[in-house]
Amino acid sequence: MAARRSKAKSAAKKPAQDSSKSKAYGEFISEAEEILERLRQDLADLADQRTSANEVEPDLVNRIFRSAHSLKGLAGMFGLEGIGDLAHHMEDVLDGLRLGRISMEAPAVDLLDSAVDLFTASLADLDNPELQEQQAGHIAEMIQRIDSAVEPPAERPDELAGLPIDPALLRALTEYEEHRLRENVRRNRHVALVDSTFEIIAFEEGLSELSTAIREVGEVVSTLPSPGDAPESQIRFSLLVATEISTEQLMSRLDLCSANVRELRRASTAAELTPPAAPAPASSSGTESSVQPSAEAPEIPGTTVATPAALDAPVQRPELRSESPDIESLRSISETVRVDIRKLDELMNLVGELVIQRNAIANVASRLMSDSGTARMGAELSKTHKLLDRKLKELQAGVLDVRMVPMRQIFEKLSRVVRRLRRDHEKEVELEFKGADTELDKLIVEQLVDPLMHVVRNAFDHAIESASDRVAAGKPSEATILIQAFQRGNHVVIEVRDDGCGIDPHAVRASAEARGLVDPEDMLSHKETLDLIFSPGLSTREEVNGTSGRGVGMDVVRSNLAALGGMVDVTSSVGEGSAVTLTVPITLAIIQALIVGVGEHRFAIPLNSVLETLLVENSEIQHSEGREILNLRGDALLLVRLADEFDLDAQSDGSKQYVVVLGMGEQRVGLLVDRLQGQQDTVIKPIKGPVRQIPGIAGATELGDQGAVLVVDVSHIVSESSRRREAA
Amino acid sequence: MSGAEAPPSTVGWENLARGAANLGVDDEEDVELRRELLSFRLGESPYAIPVERVREIVRMREITIVPRMPSWVLGVVALRGEVVQVVDLRMRLGLAPCEPSRRSRIIVLHGDDEAVTAILVDAVEAVLRIPEDSVSPASGSELGAVTELCEHGGEFVSLIDVDRVLEFCAGRS
Repeated sequence: MAARRSKAKSAAKKPAQDSSKSKAYGEFISEAEEILERLRQDLADLADQRTSANEVEPDLVNRIFRSAHSLKGLAGMFGLEGIGDLAHHMEDVLDGLRLGRISMEAPAVDLLDSAVDLFTASLADLDNPELQEQQAGHIAEMIQRIDSAVEPPAERPDELAGLPIDPALLRALTEYEEHRLRENVRRNRHVALVDSTFEIIAFEEGLSELSTAIREVGEVVSTLPSPGDAPESQIRFSLLVATEISTEQLMSRLDLCSANVRELRRASTAAELTPPAAPAPASSSGTESSVQPSAEAPEIPGTTVATPAALDAPVQRPELRSESPDIESLRSISETVRVDIRKLDELMNLVGELVIQRNAIANVASRLMSDSGTARMGAELSKTHKLLDRKLKELQAGVLDVRMVPMRQIFEKLSRVVRRLRRDHEKEVELEFKGADTELDKLIVEQLVDPLMHVVRNAFDHAIESASDRVAAGKPSEATILIQAFQRGNHVVIEVRDDGCGIDPHAVRASAEARGLVDPEDMLSHKETLDLIFSPGLSTREEVNGTSGRGVGMDVVRSNLAALGGMVDVTSSVGEGSAVTLTVPITLAIIQALIVGVGEHRFAIPLNSVLETLLVENSEIQHSEGREILNLRGDALLLVRLADEFDLDAQSDGSKQYVVVLGMGEQRVGLLVDRLQGQQDTVIKPIKGPVRQIPGIAGATELGDQGAVLVVDVSHIVSESSRRREAA
Repeated sequence: MSGAEAPPSTVGWENLARGAANLGVDDEEDVELRRELLSFRLGESPYAIPVERVREIVRMREITIVPRMPSWVLGVVALRGEVVQVVDLRMRLGLAPCEPSRRSRIIVLHGDDEAVTAILVDAVEAVLRIPEDSVSPASGSELGAVTELCEHGGEFVSLIDVDRVLEFCAGRS
């Protein structure tokens, strides 16, 4: 279990000084956060299943139960009584749910969401005793609410009456198993007893094979060792199963498993309302007629299910299945390792250094090869270099892969926020997600959460009209916010699209003029007007009126995205809705860079922003409003001279220039450089020193023995040039 | 000191006691009175910085020029996986610039908060242990970066307040 691991760790650094305490809390928090993350997703699924399917997967309830259980254990380990208590009560509710003691419709279930929120909030305040006190009050209140909201399920007829199950077997079922059996009967499924005999030495494997086969078509309600005339070296199990398929079909499926299937209940057809209360139907076709527990020792129910080989305790059923919460959670945690992202960064850095060394080797190899005296040695070295290169690429891909997390993580957070917003604002909004499996660097995901949250909140707060307004406008009363992520080359694009009121360009314009951001004389295109919402001046709510207010802090979104080397774009049409598109690179760890030369200087341009490179004649460059443009297949491409951008001396030799076409979001800019000097894998490093920010420079990279090369901040150049275009 | 006054019973004790006494002196006087400084030259003039701020000293290497930087930042160098700005200390202090020579060195400094900066100096000289009483406040220096002077080997060494230099730099960015 999660808590166990922490225990070992905290025991290792026993001297409980304050510093180690806060460190231990850190461990607790990260561990708890992991569990909470899981909890949230599962609760969201639960909510879905409750509304859409009307039946909740038992495994899901169990999983949620286990999460609460782990939280409780974890909190206990760290002596955090308040939140431990809360987890305990959540666990109670969930235990009631899985045992059918509490109805799925109970209001207590709705409280679980809030309990998780409260949990998250308490985590944040762990080291603040004052806030802790406050939280303790909230927790006590929440516990009370949970307790009073627990509701027993409605009385129901006894489903098990008339089921030809041996009473001894029934008695051997745990409360949970009995509940599952009832539930399955209620759902009108086939119930059967599957007997199978295994060699003792290999029974675990055989049993799990059998269980897996059954789970494909139904549920294993219980696994019981059964007595019988099996030889000493064998052990016999009875599996109580519930399936959608008939017993005959089940038998044919289990053919390979050499199991005996005995039908206990046949699902009634639509015509029959009650299950036939017939005695045990004809037993299975198996040759080895299974000895029923009742025949053997009905008078001592406790021992009936014990096999000769079943060890010491009477009703000691082997816990082979994943039923026991502790066993399961122990297993699931041990399969994943939580790693501090900084450690991955270090690893990535090391890989980066290796890449640089590899580049250096390539250099040596080509120098050796160019000399006839050492050409053979050079060729050998070059071959070794190629092998090294291949392995290094695998290593690099492996480390990169570890950093990748699916967008689902963010989506869950968003859906929680929207659920809460919906509760508070009574707007009818459906949140739709697409591309949850799209993967992104963990570090970028972290940086993306806030901007994305901001955009979604904006859509909810300002773009979505009230239900009545929507109906009046001829739209469905329920609004939709669609969030979709997809990969485009080396970038991931996340689009937030709503069918709200759209952004009114006139209102934006008026507000911008009022702020002095735009001259009333200026002619702006529709797009340029919309882009004004990203200006810092338009960043508070009252400045753009309520119906069009998309301006809330969008400048922050833009700058956050720019810091990631990404971009944000907006399109909108009044009355129909808006779409905000965030574009970010997949990873910042190792990137392919195009090395370009200007005069005697070299720069690296992240290749993920390079669309293409062109060699153009000077005569092809046209001028428009003081800017240089290029006709690129019919479109006007704005040109920027890197030399001018950085006040460098260019030495374009004559009539030709290289154009590096940069793409960021929807924008395109052509960068004029003197030379192209090939591609390199690079690790972008921050530039340390007294000057903290260098406009236009994203960092630097090492190129083998050739010292540092500056990395161009493409998003800066692109947005700068478009700003200048607006100004022009 | 009490240790020194106690009658020594053995040679070992005597040494221990003397050691303790010296430690006491260190605590009260010597540490305060002596500073460890790294001295270097800008042109003919000697300068010094506290040794504990020095991370490493490296030979002159290729400096990559960075656009849009203040003139006193020469550019950046790659140092074992790090890329660090190099401040031309001459220009920083308002002295005439000078071409780097074979004796030129880059001193890599670190601050309290992982901040790293490199300064280019004309030559590195020695580590000095300067008694406090030979340090005197300097007045009217360039930028206020030279806050104190000390006498060593018959000449005045300018002590540079590293934080003042770096802080000022950061402020200008």
